[in-house]
Amino acid sequence: MAKSGYKRRDNIAGYIMLSPWLFGFILMWFLPMVISIYYSFTDFNLLNEAKIIGLKNYIRIFTADDTFRQAFKVTFIYAIFLVPLRLAFALCVAMLLNTKHMGLGLYRTIYYIPSIIGGSIAVSIVWRQIFGNQGVVMSLLSVFGIEQKLSLLGNTKTALAVIILMGVWQFGSSMLIFLAALKQIPNSLYESARVDGAKSLRIFFKITIPMLTPTIFFNLILQIVNGFRVFTESYVITDGGPLNSTLSYVLYLYRRAFNYFDMGYSCALAWVLVAVISVFTVILFKTQNNWVHYESGGDD
Amino acid sequence: MKSRMKRLAALLLAGTMIFSMAACGGKSDPADKATSDTSSNTSDNASNNASGDTSGDAKVTEAAKEPVTIKIAWWGSDKRHEYTQKLLDLYTELNPNVKFEASPSGWDGYFERLSTQAASGSMPDIVQMDYLYISTYAKNNSLADLQEFIDSGVLDVSNVDENILNTGSIGSKRTGIPLSTSILAVTYNPAAIEAAGATVPADNWTWEDYIELNTKVAQKTGEPSALNSIIGPFGDSNFFNYWVRQHGGMLFKEDGTGLGFEDDAITAEYFQMWKDMSDANVSPDPDEQSQLAAVGKEALPIVNDKAATTIEWNNFTSIVSGANDKLKLALMPSSFEGNGLWLKPGMFFSVSESSKVKEECAKFISWFINSEEANDIIAGERGTPVSSAIRDYMMKSGTMTEQQVEMFGYVDKAAAVAGKTPAPDPSGIAEVNEAFANAGNSVLYGQATAQEAAATFRKQATEILERNNAAK
Repeated sequence: MAKSGYKRRDNIAGYIMLSPWLFGFILMWFLPMVISIYYSFTDFNLLNEAKIIGLKNYIRIFTADDTFRQAFKVTFIYAIFLVPLRLAFALCVAMLLNTKHMGLGLYRTIYYIPSIIGGSIAVSIVWRQIFGNQGVVMSLLSVFGIEQKLSLLGNTKTALAVIILMGVWQFGSSMLIFLAALKQIPNSLYESARVDGAKSLRIFFKITIPMLTPTIFFNLILQIVNGFRVFTESYVITDGGPLNSTLSYVLYLYRRAFNYFDMGYSCALAWVLVAVISVFTVILFKTQNNWVHYESGGDD
Repeated sequence: MKSRMKRLAALLLAGTMIFSMAACGGKSDPADKATSDTSSNTSDNASNNASGDTSGDAKVTEAAKEPVTIKIAWWGSDKRHEYTQKLLDLYTELNPNVKFEASPSGWDGYFERLSTQAASGSMPDIVQMDYLYISTYAKNNSLADLQEFIDSGVLDVSNVDENILNTGSIGSKRTGIPLSTSILAVTYNPAAIEAAGATVPADNWTWEDYIELNTKVAQKTGEPSALNSIIGPFGDSNFFNYWVRQHGGMLFKEDGTGLGFEDDAITAEYFQMWKDMSDANVSPDPDEQSQLAAVGKEALPIVNDKAATTIEWNNFTSIVSGANDKLKLALMPSSFEGNGLWLKPGMFFSVSESSKVKEECAKFISWFINSEEANDIIAGERGTPVSSAIRDYMMKSGTMTEQQVEMFGYVDKAAAVAGKTPAPDPSGIAEVNEAFANAGNSVLYGQATAQEAAATFRKQATEILERNNAAK
C-alpha cells in the first residue's frame, strides 16, 4: 500500500515537472493543429466569421491552383537535391573528423556552427549579399572572365541552386549523428578486414556504409522532413522569386495566409503538406528491410 | 521524503504566485477605463440628442481629464518614425492625459502583423491604413465608423475635399480619414539629364519622349535610367492602372468583381514597352530591379545622379530630400490624353472597431490634419496635406522647402488633367498584384510573349477577383 502511495506521489511530481512542456505542447501545438484542421474546411480570412465550405479548399488546391503546383515542384526539387548532397557532405566531414588529430574538437564545433545559425535571418541576408549582383561570388567569377551580367539569384535557372547550396552548408546536425555512429563501429571489423587485405574503398563500402545504414535511415527521414519545410532561405534571399522559381511550399502557404488573408485555404495547404511528408516517411519505412542493417536485430 | 514535499510545495506556491500576479497586473486598469469610457460615451450621445452641444462638450472635457493610452501603428521610413514620435510627444504635451504606445514599422510586414492583430482582437487604436487594404478591413468590420465624431464636431473635416474624404467611406461607414493626397508623377534628375545632353521633360510630353530621354541618359551612364520606384513597372498595379485609364478603361470594375477593361492589347503593349526598354538596358531587368528594392528609395540611382527618371507618387522628392534636394517633378507621360491621372488618398488613419478610446482617437486625428503646429512637423512627408487651410498656411508660411513647393505645385498642375478617383482596390488585390508582377516579369525573362502574359494575367486576375468579391 505504502509503496503505491509513493508511486502516485512520484507520478504527480513527474507531471508537475512535465507541466511547462505539457502546457506548451497543448497550447502552442496540439490545439492550433486541431483548429487548423477545422479552418481548412472553412473560408476563414482572419477577419470574418469562418463559414464551413466542405472540401472546396482541397478541391481548389488540386484543380485550380497553378501556384500550388509550382511551389510543390520547387520544394520537391529542393528536397531531392538537398537531402543526398547534405548527407554525403555530412558523412565526408564526419569521416575526416573521426581520425585522430590534434584540435579535432575545435573543428567539430566550427563545422557545427552553420547548422545553428544557418536558418537565421541574418545569415540569409549575408547569403543574399554574397551571391547578389555586386557580391563576392560574382566578383570572383568575373576574375575568371565570366560575364558580369550573369546573376545567380536573378536567374530563374540558378536561383534555386543557391538556396540548395545554402541548405547543404547546414550539414552540422547530420554530421554529429554520423560522427557518433562512426565511433560505434567496432574497430575489430576494420582490423580483420585489413588483415584480409581489403583496400580502404572496399572497407568503406563493405563495412562503414552497412554499419551506418540505421543512422543514414534516421538522418534521411529527418532531413526529408526538414527539406519540405524550407522557408527562411526562400523568404529572405529571393522572396520566392524570380518568377516563383524559388517559391517554397511553406512560403506559398505563408503568403496565402498573411498576404492574401486566405487563412482557410492555407490551413488546407498545410494539411496537404503533412500528408505528403507522411507518405514519404511511410515509403521510406517500407523500404527499410531492403537496405537498413540492424546489428542486433534478427537480420540473419 | 519530507524535503521533497517541501520543495514541491514551494514550487507550487511560486507557480500560483506568478500566475496570480500576472492576473492582477493585467486586470486592474484597462477594465476600469473601459467601463468609465463606455459610460461617458453613452451619456455623451444621450445628451447630444437631448439638449444639444453645450452639455456634450462639458462631458468631453470631463472625459479628457482621465488618463488615456492610445496605441498607434504606422509604416514608413526612419524619417517618418522620427518626426511622428515628435508629433506624439507634442500632443502629449498639449494633452497631458493622453499617452501613446507607438509601433512604427516598415511597409514590409506591416499588414501581415495588422491582420493577425485584427484576428485576435488586439488591433492598435489608430492604424495607418492604405487604399489597398481599407475595403478588406472595412468589410470585415474591423474599422470603426467615424461619422458620429464628425457629426459631433470632435473630428473636423470641413477643409477636406468631399471627393477625397469619401475615398475613406466603405459602404455606409466612414472607416478612414485620408491624411494626404498623392498623384503619380515622373520625378526627374536635371543634373543627369543635362550631363547626357538631353532636355528636361515638358508638361505635354509623351511616352515616346519619355523613352527617348531615358535612352539618351542610359547610353551616357551605361546604367538603366527609366526607373519605377523600388518596385519596378509591375510591382504595383497603380502604375498599370494609369496606363489603362489613359487608354480609356479602368483597371477594375467598380464592384471589384473583375477587370474593368476588355482589350488585352492594352496589357500586352504595356508589357512590350518595358520589355523593349529592359532589353536595351534603358530600364532595369528584373534582377537589377530586385537589387534596387534591396537598397531602398534613398539609394536609387536617380538620387545619385545616375538615372534620369522614376515613376513615383509626387511625395518622392520630399522623401529623399535628405539625400538629394535637386529632383524635380514632371507630369506623367501622355497625361493630357485621356484622364489617366487621379488624386489618390495617400494614406488613412483608421480607428479599430475594438478600440475603447475611439473619441480620443478622433480628436487626435482631427489635430493631425488640422493643426498648423502639427503640420509644421509633418512638413508634407506623408503627401500633400488634405486640409486646404493647411495647404494655404504652408504656402504662405514661406518655411517650405523647394521640394514641398514643387510637390504642392504639382498637385495643381496634375489636378487640371486628372480624372475621377477609382474605387478602393478590391479585396484580393495583393494576389492580383502578385499575378500581375509574375505576368510582367515572365515577359522580361523571355518566358512568355507580351500577348501570352496579358492573357495569363486576365485569366488569373478574373479568377482571384471573382473568388474574393463575388456576392458573399
